[in-house]
Amino acid sequence: MIKMKKTLSLIILISVISLFLAESAFAQLERTRVQEVRPVELTFMAPRNINLYTVEPLSPGELHYSIMHTFGTVDSGIRNLWGIDQGANVRFSFEYGLTERLSLGFGRSSLDKVVDFTGRYALLKQMSDNSMPVSVSLNTSAGINTSSFGFLAEDYTFSDRLNFTGSLLIARKFTENFSLQVSPTVVHFNRVGQETNVADTDLNTYYAIGVATRYKIKPRTAVSAQYIPTLNGENTSYNLALGIDIETGGHVFQMFFTTSRALNDQYLIAGENGDFFDRQFRFGFNVNRLFNIRGR
Amino acid sequence: MLQLQNKILTLISFLVLFFVFTADLEAQSYITEEGYVEFKSSAPLLTFKGTSNHLTGLIDLDQNLVDFYIDLNTLDTGINLRNRHMRNSYLETDKFPFAEFTGSMNSIFDPESDGKQEVTVVGEFTIHGVTREMEITGTLERVSDEIELIATWTVLLEDHNIDRPSVIFYELAEEQEVTIKALLKLQND
Repeated sequence: MIKMKKTLSLIILISVISLFLAESAFAQLERTRVQEVRPVELTFMAPRNINLYTVEPLSPGELHYSIMHTFGTVDSGIRNLWGIDQGANVRFSFEYGLTERLSLGFGRSSLDKVVDFTGRYALLKQMSDNSMPVSVSLNTSAGINTSSFGFLAEDYTFSDRLNFTGSLLIARKFTENFSLQVSPTVVHFNRVGQETNVADTDLNTYYAIGVATRYKIKPRTAVSAQYIPTLNGENTSYNLALGIDIETGGHVFQMFFTTSRALNDQYLIAGENGDFFDRQFRFGFNVNRLFNIRGR
Repeated sequence: MLQLQNKILTLISFLVLFFVFTADLEAQSYITEEGYVEFKSSAPLLTFKGTSNHLTGLIDLDQNLVDFYIDLNTLDTGINLRNRHMRNSYLETDKFPFAEFTGSMNSIFDPESDGKQEVTVVGEFTIHGVTREMEITGTLERVSDEIELIATWTVLLEDHNIDRPSVIFYELAEEQEVTIKALLKLQND
C-alpha cells in the first residue's frame, strides 16, 4: 500500500511537470537573434574624420564623394573675416567600393596642385562579441604634383613629382558614442625643395602617428578631433584639429578648426602647422556624400 | 478493501496520464521561422522597401495566442549604406533588436473549413522599445496541414519614438506600411 502511494505520487509529480512543460512550450516564443555576432558598424560617421581616412568601409557599389576646404588663419582678424577672405584650399575626392574590403579613389588638392590615387583595404573588422576587438585597414596614397616648375633651372621629371603615403588604420568603437583610431604613417616625397610646401625642404621621408576620435553627442551629431604629431624633421610639429560632424541621411557635414592648410595625408604630415594655442588655426569644412551607384 | 483502493489509485493514475497525453495531442499550434516581412516607406521623393525572411511566429488555437517577432538586423533595403543608418540611427538595433507582436484573436478561426477567413487580432506591438496596443486585421487560410497568414497594417514612426531629421522628411515617410506573409506549420510533439 505504501509502495503504491509512492508510485502514485511519482506519477502525479511527473504528470504535473510534463503538463507544466507542455504549457510553457505553448507560451510566448523565445526571442533569438538570427546572427548573434555581427561586425561593429559606423565606427565613424563617414570614411573620413576631419582630414584622415578612417576604417569605415564602403560597401560594393558605394561611391563616396567628398569636398574639403580650409581657409586662412583665424589670427588674420575680422578685416579678413578670420581667414575666409584669403580664399580656400580645396580638395575633392571620389572613392568607390569594389568589394566589402577594397575601395579605390582619386582626388585633387589645390595645395601644390596634387592629383592623388588612393586605396583602402579592410584587413580586420571589429566584432560585436569582441572576438576581434579592433578594425584595421591599410591606407595608401600616391600623389602627383602637377605644378608648373618652368621657373626652375633644372628639369622636373615625372618621378620627381611623386609623393606617397602608407598608413595602418587601427580603430575601435569603445562605446556606442566613443571611437578612437590610431594610425602609424610613413610619407615619402621623391623630391623636396623650396618649391614644395613641406616643412623641411631637405627631408624626403616623414614618420607620424595619426590620432582620430569622435564622440557622439546626439544620434546624428558628434564632436571630433585629430592629432597628428610628425616624429622627425626640424621644422615639423603636429597637426591639431577640433570639429563637429553632422549626419543628415546621406550627407555628412564636418566643420573644424585645424592648424594646417593641408587636406591630404602627404601634406598633413610633411607640411607646416601653426600653433593652435596662438590662434594660428584655420576654419575648414568637408561635405561627404555617399551614393549607391550599383543598386540591387 | 485494499484491493479496491489499489484499483482506484491505478485508475486515477491512468486518468492523469491520459489527460496529460491528450492535452498534448489536442494542441493546435502552428509555427514558422521563415515568414516574410516587408515595410514600405512612401515619401514624396523616395519610395523604398525593406524585407526579411526571418519572421518567427506562433499561432496557438487552443490558448488563442498569436506571437510573432522579427530580428530587425535581418531587414534589407537593398542598399547597405541605408541599412547601416537604419540599424544605427533609426531602429537602434543594438539596444532594441526585435520588433514583436503578442496578442489574441478577436474572432474564431476554424482550421477545418476551407478558404480565406478574416481574422482580427488584438495585442501589443513593440518596436524601438516602445509598446503600443494594436488591432490588426488579416486573413488565415488552411492549406493542407499548414495555415497561410497575410496581414497588413500601418506603423507610425512617431508612435515608437523613431526620430526623423527634418532634412530627410522627403525621403522617409512617417507612415510605414508593414506586410507579413507566412506559412505556419502544425507543430508536432
